Amino acid sequence: MPVKTIEFSPFTRLEGDLRVTVEIEDGHVTRSFASGTLFRGFESMLKGRDPLDALVITCRVCGQCGLTHSAASASAMRALTGASMPPNAFRASNVMLAIEAIISHLTHFYLSLAPELSEIPGDSEARQRFRPPAGRSFARALREREELLGVLGLFAGKWPNSLAIQPGGTTRPVDASEIRRSHGLLGEYVSFVEQQVIGCRLEEWLAVRSAADLEAWMEVDSHRMSDVGVFVRLSRAHGLDGIGTWQARFISSGGWPDCEGGALTAPGFYDGNPAELDQAQISEQTAWSWYEQKEAGLHPFDGETIPAPERAEAYSWAKAPRYAGQPAEAGPLARLVIDGDRLVADLMLKHGPSAFVREMARLHETMRLLKRLGAWLDEVEPGEPFFTASPRPMQGSGMGLVEAPRGILGHWIRVADGKIQNYQIITPTGWNLSPRDSGNRSGPLEEALVGAPIPDAERPVALSYIVKSFDPCLYCTVH
Amino acid sequence: MANLLWIQAACCGGETASLLNSDHPHLQAALSSLGMTFLGHSYFHDHALGSPERVMEQCVAGRIPVELLVVEGAAYLRGRQPESRVPGVPLIELIQALARAVDSTVAVGTCASFGGIMACGRNPMGASGLQFCRDQAGGFLGADYRSRSGLPVVNVSGCPAHADWIVGTLWALHSGRVHEEDLDPYNRPRAFYGKLAHHACPRNEYYEFKASAAAYSQQGCLFENLGCKGTLCESDCNERLWLARTGSCTRGGFPCLSCTSPLFPDGFVPFFETAKIGGIPTSLPLDVPKAWYVGISGLSKLACPERLRHNAVSFKQSWTGRKEPSGDAGKDNRV
Repeated sequence: MPVKTIEFSPFTRLEGDLRVTVEIEDGHVTRSFASGTLFRGFESMLKGRDPLDALVITCRVCGQCGLTHSAASASAMRALTGASMPPNAFRASNVMLAIEAIISHLTHFYLSLAPELSEIPGDSEARQRFRPPAGRSFARALREREELLGVLGLFAGKWPNSLAIQPGGTTRPVDASEIRRSHGLLGEYVSFVEQQVIGCRLEEWLAVRSAADLEAWMEVDSHRMSDVGVFVRLSRAHGLDGIGTWQARFISSGGWPDCEGGALTAPGFYDGNPAELDQAQISEQTAWSWYEQKEAGLHPFDGETIPAPERAEAYSWAKAPRYAGQPAEAGPLARLVIDGDRLVADLMLKHGPSAFVREMARLHETMRLLKRLGAWLDEVEPGEPFFTASPRPMQGSGMGLVEAPRGILGHWIRVADGKIQNYQIITPTGWNLSPRDSGNRSGPLEEALVGAPIPDAERPVALSYIVKSFDPCLYCTVH
Repeated sequence: MANLLWIQAACCGGETASLLNSDHPHLQAALSSLGMTFLGHSYFHDHALGSPERVMEQCVAGRIPVELLVVEGAAYLRGRQPESRVPGVPLIELIQALARAVDSTVAVGTCASFGGIMACGRNPMGASGLQFCRDQAGGFLGADYRSRSGLPVVNVSGCPAHADWIVGTLWALHSGRVHEEDLDPYNRPRAFYGKLAHHACPRNEYYEFKASAAAYSQQGCLFENLGCKGTLCESDCNERLWLARTGSCTRGGFPCLSCTSPLFPDGFVPFFETAKIGGIPTSLPLDVPKAWYVGISGLSKLACPERLRHNAVSFKQSWTGRKEPSGDAGKDNRV
C-alpha cells in the first residue's frame, strides 16, 4: 500500500499558525508531525531586564490567557522573594482566572470547534446553530460574553493585558456593592448557559456523574436539544469518541489555589496510577526544534532558547517538554482525571482519552467553574486587604506553576543583581503539541493523530477534530 | 459587498481577543454595520469564497478585490520571516504586495503600528510595524507608502486596541470619512487618540492635590509613586471604558503604561515606579512645563484636604471627612 503524505498549513479557526504533516497508509494516519511555524523571542527579550518587567511582557505572550501568564510570573517572583499575598487576593485572582478559563473554553467551543460541526454535510440543525456568523447559538454566545466581561472589569480593569495580579496580591479592592453587581451579572450569564448550552440547571448538569448518567440526561428533550446535547449526538454519529486517543500521561499543577494550601482541582501526574507532581522531573528537549541542541533535556531553570533555524532535521519552533523523560498531556482533561472527577473518569473508562472526552472535560469544567465562581465572590471580604507590599526580586530563583485555561503553565526566573539572568516559560500547548524528542518519541498530539481514519484526503475531518480537541494555542507555544 | 482582508502576522492574538470583547454594539452588530465581507481572519473568514489560503492567493493575484487590508502583529525586517498563508510567499512580501492594491491599509495594535512588544529590548527578531519602527517613520512599507486612497497606513495602536477603535476606524475608512488631517503625527485617528488616558480617570481629584497612593489597591493617584503614564498616553480609555464599560487600567488599580505610544514598552520603564530627580518626576504630564509643574504641585500639595490625604493611602471605602449630621446618614456614601 503506498504511503501518501499530506500537509495542512495553516489550520483555520485556531489561535496562531499550526502545520500538521501526516503520512497515510491504507486510509489511516501512520505518522504525524506537528509544527509551530512562528518564533517571537519572548524569553530572550526578558534577559537583563528588571524582574518586574516580566509581568508586563509575559502577559502579552498570549491574547487569551494573559492573566494566567501574569499570575505565573507573580507566583515565580513570590517564590523568589518569599513574599505572600492576603486571602482576598487568592479569591480575587481565582475570580479573574476562572473567568479567563470560561471565556477561553467557550470561545474554543463556539468559534473553533462548533463551526467545524456546522459543515457536516446534511445536518441542518448543526448548520443553523453553529455556522458563523448567523448561526443562532454562535451569535448568542458572542453576545452573552459581555456579562462575564462586566465581572472581569470590576476585578481586572482591562483585559487582555491586565496587570491586576501582582506579586503582593491584586490591585483593585472590590467593595460590597460590586460583589452584588458581579453576582447579578454572573446570574445572567449562568441563565444563558442553562438555556442554551446545557438546557438544564447547572446543578442538574453537575449531578451527571457517569457515562450512564449522561445517557439518561440525553433522554430529556431540552437536554438533547441544548448545544452540549447536539455536540454529544454529533460526536457519536461522527465517531469523535473513537479518535484521538493515545497512551496518555497527564500533568497538572492544581487549578485555582485557595489561601489554605488547597485548590479547586488537585495537582499531580497520572499515567494509569496517580502520583505527586515533582517539578524537578520537568525538562525540555530540542532534538527536533529550531534551537541549539543539547545532549540531554534541560530543566527550565537552566533552559536555553537559542534559535538555530538552519537545522535541517528540525521541524518546529516548539520545544519538547518532558516529565520524567516522557511526553504528557495538559488541559481540562488532565486536570479532571488527576482530580478524580467522576464523570470524566467514567467517560475515560468507556471512550479513552478521545477527542470527544477531551471536549467533554472542557465543557464539564466550564460548568464546575461557573458554579464555583459565585462562592469565590461570596468569600471576598470587603474591608480586608487585597495587597501587601513585597520586596523587589534582587537575587535568586523562583518558579510559578499555574493552571491556564489550556493546562499547566510554568514560569522559571533567575535573578542576579536585580536583573533577569534567565526566564523560561513552558505553556500547556507546548506540552500538547510537542515535537519529537531525542529518543524520537512523539508529542501527545502527534501520537493522538496516529490511527485516525482519513478516507478522503481532500477532507480530513478526523484530523481537524483531533487537533481541535487539544484546543491548541500556537501563540503560547512558540517562544 | 466590499472585502476586508485581515492578516495575522507575528502577534499574540490580542487584537482579535479585544475585538471579540465588543459591546454596545455587540461584535456581530458592529461587524454587520460595517457592511463588509471578512476574509483571511482565523475566526471570521467567510468560507463561502473558499479557504483563507485560496482566497489570499486570489487577493494577491488581483482576482479578488480588497478594499481594506488589516494587519494584526509585527513583521520581521531581518532574519527568518514568518511564513504567510500563501505557500512560498514570506509574510513581508505578502503584505507589501497586497498593500499596493488596496484602498486603505490599517495596522491594528501597537505591534503592527510601531513594533510594540515584538520589537522591545534588543529586538532579537528585528520586528517592525508596517510604516513605523518605534517612533521612526519607515517600517517595511516605507515612509512614503500611500494606499490607493492616498492615505498612509492608519495606525490603530494599543496593547490591545479597544474594539471601538478598531471597528470605528474600519467604518470611517469604508465610508470615506478619513482624510489626512484626521490623523495625528503617528497616523492614528484623532477621534480616538486626541485625548489622554488621564481624562476622566476617577483618581483625578487626587492628582490635582498630589495625594498619591503609596502601594497598589490604595485610592490615591498612581502618577507620583507607582509609575502611571496616563498623563502622557494618547487614548480615551477612561472615557470610553473597557470590558462592558466597567473598567480601565487606572480603574483596575494599576498604572497606565501608555500602550498606544510608538515608544511602548521601552520608552516607559520603569513600569511600576515613577523615575524622579530631586523628587520631581522625570516624565511630566504632556506639554506641562517643568517650572509650572513644580510650582503648582507644591502649592496643591499644601492645599490638599485631609479627606484626600487620608483616602489616598487607604484601600477601604472612602472617608467623606464630613461631620455626620445625626444618626446613620452619610456614614457610607458608596454602597
